[in-house]
Amino acid sequence: MTATKDTPVPAGATPPAPAHVGAARKRGSGWFSERLMPYLLILPALAAVLVLLGWPTVQMLGISLRQLDLRELVTGKMVWIGFKNYTDVLSDPEFWAVALRTVLFTGALVAGTLLVALLIAVLMRHLNPVLRIFVQVSLVLAWAVPVIATTTVFQWIFDQQYGILNKTLDRLGFHSFIGYSWFSTGTSTLVVIGLLVLWQAVPFVAFTLYAGLIGVPREQYEAAGIDGAGPWQTFRAVSWPAIRPILTMVTFLSMLWDFNMFAQVWAIRQGGPDGASTTLAIMQYLKGIAGSHFGSAAAIATIMLVLLLLVTGRYVQLLVRTKDGEIA
Amino acid sequence: MRKSLPARVLVSIAGVLVALLFLFPTYWMFTTSLKTPGDVLSPKYDLIPTSATLSNFASALTKPGFVTYLTNSLIVTLGAVLAALVVGVLAAIPLARFRFRGRKGFLLLILVAQLAPLSALFIPMYLLMRDIGLLNTLPSLLLVYFATSLPFTVWMLYGFVNGIPYDLEEAAMIDGCSRVGAFRRVTLPLLGPGLVTTSVFSFITAWNEFLFALVFMRDQSKQTLPVWLSSFKTAFSIDWGGVMAASVIYAIPAVIFFLIVQRKLVSGMTAGAVKG
Amino acid sequence: MKRWLKLAAGAAAITLATAGCAGSGGSENASSAGGAQDGKLTVWLMTGSAPDSLTAALNKEFEAAHPGVKVDYQIQQWNGIQQKLTTALASDTPPDVIEVGNTQTPAFAAQGVLADLSGDVNNLNGGQWLAGLKASGQYDGKTVGVPFYAANRVVMYRKDMFEQASITQPPTSNDEWLADIAKLKTKFGSDPQFQPLYMPGQNWYALSSFIWDNGGDIAKGEGKSFKSSLNTPEAKAGLEFYKKLVDTSGTTAPKDNDEATPQQAGIYAAGKVAMFIGTPNEVATAAKTDPGITAKTGAFPIPSKTPGQGAPVFLGGSNLLVPLNSKHQDLAKDYLKLLTSTKYMTQLAAGGYVPGTSTDLSALDKDPLGSVMAKASKNGHAMPTSPKWGEVESGQNPLKDMLTAYLTGKKTLDQAAADANTALDKIIGG
Repeated sequence: MTATKDTPVPAGATPPAPAHVGAARKRGSGWFSERLMPYLLILPALAAVLVLLGWPTVQMLGISLRQLDLRELVTGKMVWIGFKNYTDVLSDPEFWAVALRTVLFTGALVAGTLLVALLIAVLMRHLNPVLRIFVQVSLVLAWAVPVIATTTVFQWIFDQQYGILNKTLDRLGFHSFIGYSWFSTGTSTLVVIGLLVLWQAVPFVAFTLYAGLIGVPREQYEAAGIDGAGPWQTFRAVSWPAIRPILTMVTFLSMLWDFNMFAQVWAIRQGGPDGASTTLAIMQYLKGIAGSHFGSAAAIATIMLVLLLLVTGRYVQLLVRTKDGEIA
Repeated sequence: MRKSLPARVLVSIAGVLVALLFLFPTYWMFTTSLKTPGDVLSPKYDLIPTSATLSNFASALTKPGFVTYLTNSLIVTLGAVLAALVVGVLAAIPLARFRFRGRKGFLLLILVAQLAPLSALFIPMYLLMRDIGLLNTLPSLLLVYFATSLPFTVWMLYGFVNGIPYDLEEAAMIDGCSRVGAFRRVTLPLLGPGLVTTSVFSFITAWNEFLFALVFMRDQSKQTLPVWLSSFKTAFSIDWGGVMAASVIYAIPAVIFFLIVQRKLVSGMTAGAVKG
Repeated sequence: MKRWLKLAAGAAAITLATAGCAGSGGSENASSAGGAQDGKLTVWLMTGSAPDSLTAALNKEFEAAHPGVKVDYQIQQWNGIQQKLTTALASDTPPDVIEVGNTQTPAFAAQGVLADLSGDVNNLNGGQWLAGLKASGQYDGKTVGVPFYAANRVVMYRKDMFEQASITQPPTSNDEWLADIAKLKTKFGSDPQFQPLYMPGQNWYALSSFIWDNGGDIAKGEGKSFKSSLNTPEAKAGLEFYKKLVDTSGTTAPKDNDEATPQQAGIYAAGKVAMFIGTPNEVATAAKTDPGITAKTGAFPIPSKTPGQGAPVFLGGSNLLVPLNSKHQDLAKDYLKLLTSTKYMTQLAAGGYVPGTSTDLSALDKDPLGSVMAKASKNGHAMPTSPKWGEVESGQNPLKDMLTAYLTGKKTLDQAAADANTALDKIIGG
């Protein structure tokens, strides 16, 4: 990787601007540009992340140590209360039950999403173009439909009395589903929410994995074919290594999205019945945002952040390490 | 790879099943948009709509401000997607192709930056926008959508660049391309599918965002489509047929966007045949 | 840089504005002095509140009376309104007049972010304020909210079905109501889809009526300390009556959802329902499916257990507030004065609402359903005026969970009431 030649930019080529700067300097001082170019390239992204995400996050940490209700927000008064927001949350026995539920729910969702998405991605590769576009459009539709519409439609489909699902099950001979309530317990409510999330999350993951699959140069498959490998062996030998980094990535992303997910859980039953489908994000809203207690909201958010770091921590390590390969 | 006829038929059947399963809720949204309020949920068995009216679409489209909201949404969404892609590709290259001090730290930052729940950041972000005087302007939303999709974009593109064998670039460089030229001619075309999925993702996320749009934009004339969508609800009633009709209209730009970039998926695939 | 320009323009406008309306409004608190006044009064009303024709005329009249002042009128959505208001109040230029739901008002009042309007009550038609709304706008002995409008639930019924079942008079007591439901069931019961009374399991507004009618309350208290009282015999009696209605009617409405999902107006429009509990504007929704249904629909007040009198009803509605850091408080009060005048309140009544600051209900009386609602509104009740009540309604409402658990038999009456009592105390207690 270090054995770069100092070849000039071909005439007529218009490379991206910062890269061009790097390449031009390279002629003068190879060592300098090699050192500086990466920093120049990441600078815009670094600045944006630090200012637009980093700073608000630091502020959130600060807010979590304050009492910040509507009054303080309007008057701009700083009321520091130490760790009271944290002790309030952590001393609530309900918190731990909710935290456990959130972790389990997230785990199940992520596993389900990945499995279904991987199957669909492989399927897309093997479909003829017409059917593939059909599948792709159906996926994009599922993904593009606004959340307010999706959550409502799911509620209707699962409606106790007039939902198309119960009516269809009845027609198919399962008469016990007449008037069956899908939202009477926390578990079955979470199952419906899970289906809703799966439906919305699978398209993105499937597309990403599919893009990873077709990014594999065709000759690698041809080579495997010549070697007489079967479909499963080809998948193991060619596809799997190609998509593994991407799979690691989408696993991580799914984990944090599902863990922080709010809109879908809220829309279905506001975390009910009897709080049995409440996740941490719902708790953060109920205890913090709903009553304009932004200090509590920030504290719960910080706890969620720490929990999420714990859950994904090994994963973050793995991500950074596997990507680095030979770099220790 | 050649497949036997039964295998192809099986694969096709599976494809159709998957497509139908994913289409169903969308289909249900669509048929509901054709129903009168009394038929939205009724005892009738209406898997196939028994009657249809276009009045919901008429009332949705004639709701004041639709074109303004649509324009605003397109500006902030496309702006954020483009900005994130450009900045994202720039950052993904050195991450995948260079070794430099602080690289690991930057990677960690990109990962951790995505962990914080956005709902908790809306107060600090609001204060930030207030203090730099951007409230009630479209750039404030554009910036937020750009910022929230950027870590994701960087990380995804980094993954995609990494997934493209470096041998290909090296081969091109041996053939006389510069490092930049090699990247542009070999890796960038192969990156096509990655750019597409990433941009579709950023597009849809920004396209659907409600809370920041609601809170940042004071004037109705600066609102975006998700806010418009919620205007079908009043204190005592919700026009569900209208919501569904509006949702159908609303999903169309996202689908068009996909259909435009979708061709890239195919061309990215053929570009895979580039010889080193 | 732009801010400086704005300030300069504002300074010019302030002179104009003060010159134009000298002497208007008692400015004892003189809060507008020194503010960056730009001659713009920002008014936020909710969608579906005041008809467009009303606000157009109102703003025109106000601007004519205040030369140099422009009304920046914005219609707000209910979705996310709390976050929108919260952040807007914290901005440099908060809106000057806002509309807030009556159950949300105490939350804002308790935070001390609203202007004290106690001195202006008389100026704002104070003598005619709607009693059920008035309480929600008062906090710590101060008046911070002006009643805007309200609506309450009545029982809508199909006149033709009543006639066919030989019911000559709408019921005037709980017993008569139950008897009529039975009669309707005998007459039309052969149709399996027919429901004498459509009654979803989580219509907690109806439940509140029954609890109040039995002498109970949802919570007791004042100011900041409230104690849930769902575990009382009176509240349980209300709950029992709810179940009796559901059982007698044999309604197929979902027990795990409220009247909005599915929208009961839609079910009513399908023509297989003889009665439902709702607001008159739901009939307008039903008429979108079946235009003929309006003529066939009558209304009667929710009956009481005491024959001849209606049950107390929940008054749902809005208050008008002035943010404390509004820079045009005097103008805002002038605006309120105009809006609360009988002229505009009458227009509001014509739009189907019970006006907040006028006892003149003649415009509402012209509508047969509206007149029933107007009459019932006189026995209007408010939800507990706890600052945390808004969290109950927007969050996990224990009353809803209680109803579902009891109606489906998952919990006994005592268990359901006790659990809900605990859950409600967790939110508003203390």
